[in-house]
Amino acid sequence: MVKISINLLPKEFALEEIKKARFYKIQAAGVAIILIMIFLASLTMALRILQSQNITRVQARLSAAEQQVNNLKDTQASLLLLKNRLSLIDQVLNSPSKEVLMYKLMDKLIPAQVIVNSVTIGKAGEVKFTAVVPDGQVLENLLVNLTTNEKNDNKIAQVSIETLNRSRGGLYRVNIKVKPK
Amino acid sequence: MTMNKSNLVKFYSTYKLYIFPTVVGLSALFLILFVIYPQAVKLVTNQKKEGELVNKSEFLESKVLALESYDGEDLSRKLEYTLSAFPEEKDFGNVIGLLQQLAGQSGFNVSSIALGASSSKAKQESYEVKLEVTGAKALIQTLLSNLENSPRLIQVGGIEISSSSSQGTDVSLTISVLYSPILTNFGSIDSPLPQLSQQEEELISRLSRETSIVSGLPTNAALTPRGKVNPFE
Repeated sequence: MVKISINLLPKEFALEEIKKARFYKIQAAGVAIILIMIFLASLTMALRILQSQNITRVQARLSAAEQQVNNLKDTQASLLLLKNRLSLIDQVLNSPSKEVLMYKLMDKLIPAQVIVNSVTIGKAGEVKFTAVVPDGQVLENLLVNLTTNEKNDNKIAQVSIETLNRSRGGLYRVNIKVKPK
Repeated sequence: MTMNKSNLVKFYSTYKLYIFPTVVGLSALFLILFVIYPQAVKLVTNQKKEGELVNKSEFLESKVLALESYDGEDLSRKLEYTLSAFPEEKDFGNVIGLLQQLAGQSGFNVSSIALGASSSKAKQESYEVKLEVTGAKALIQTLLSNLENSPRLIQVGGIEISSSSSQGTDVSLTISVLYSPILTNFGSIDSPLPQLSQQEEELISRLSRETSIVSGLPTNAALTPRGKVNPFE
């Protein structure tokens, strides 16, 4: 059976009711929005307060640590100075004297039969020496030793015979200049 | 006045559908713009700041622990060894004594010692000493080794050897004696703390050994550091 509904209310009244219902919805939504905003504002404020307290605590901890480091600044300075000195000492020790190295090399390369009268080793490691060599064979050995890379550890760049004299007794007097690499 | 109020009520009743949402919107906007957004931004930036403070504080606390782990006396002693090996200023007296001692130890007699010019290179300065000694040719290597391993940092810069002397071989050595002014920057509170490596500890042991060997010789020209033991006082 079909129900028949008859609305006898005036049209303006019905419109008013619809408006009221819509307004209630808007009002509810508005209140909710405001409450959410107030909640968010309170939350951020509370978090900020907590954060400020934390920062104050951390700053106090930091100041205490800074004070302790300040009290130990002598130890820090000693340590830094020690470290600096050690690094400088290490640098010097790791760069051995070229002159000493060249002397040791010459000592190794000059045959025992050769009588060295004088040796001069300059700052660049350049060696000049005067020697008396008993015979031609020893002289050859000396020159081979000085000029062969395998024997001179590849440390000699140039060998110059500045003077070479042979005496009546068969002795050779040489003046040799050696340039290191 | 009552007329105005009733007018306002009537106006609100008529347009409340628009006025209420506008007021809510404006209030929400006000809260966002002037409270929520600035506080949230501050929260984020302060979070970073707090993190940095915590990191710095932890770093300083670990630095304090590291500094406290060093024995002040031991550190001073080590510093003393390095400063006697590589002092901050010219130490002619010590060097002359040491050279005499090393030459004697190597079997050479000192003919003369002459002080020469100063020079500067990178972080180190030096002055020259001309050492003339006489002795056996076979001992020259020993002399050079002793000079190279001297507890005082020196470098042999020139060698002249001649066998003319009847007493033996004349050796003339140009020696660079190194020294370096003390650091002026000892680091700030938050500068990282260096650690002594194993290699550096070994170097300190070597220096202390060499110093004690030289100081223990009969012809004692004790190698003592010049200047203040603690340069920070």
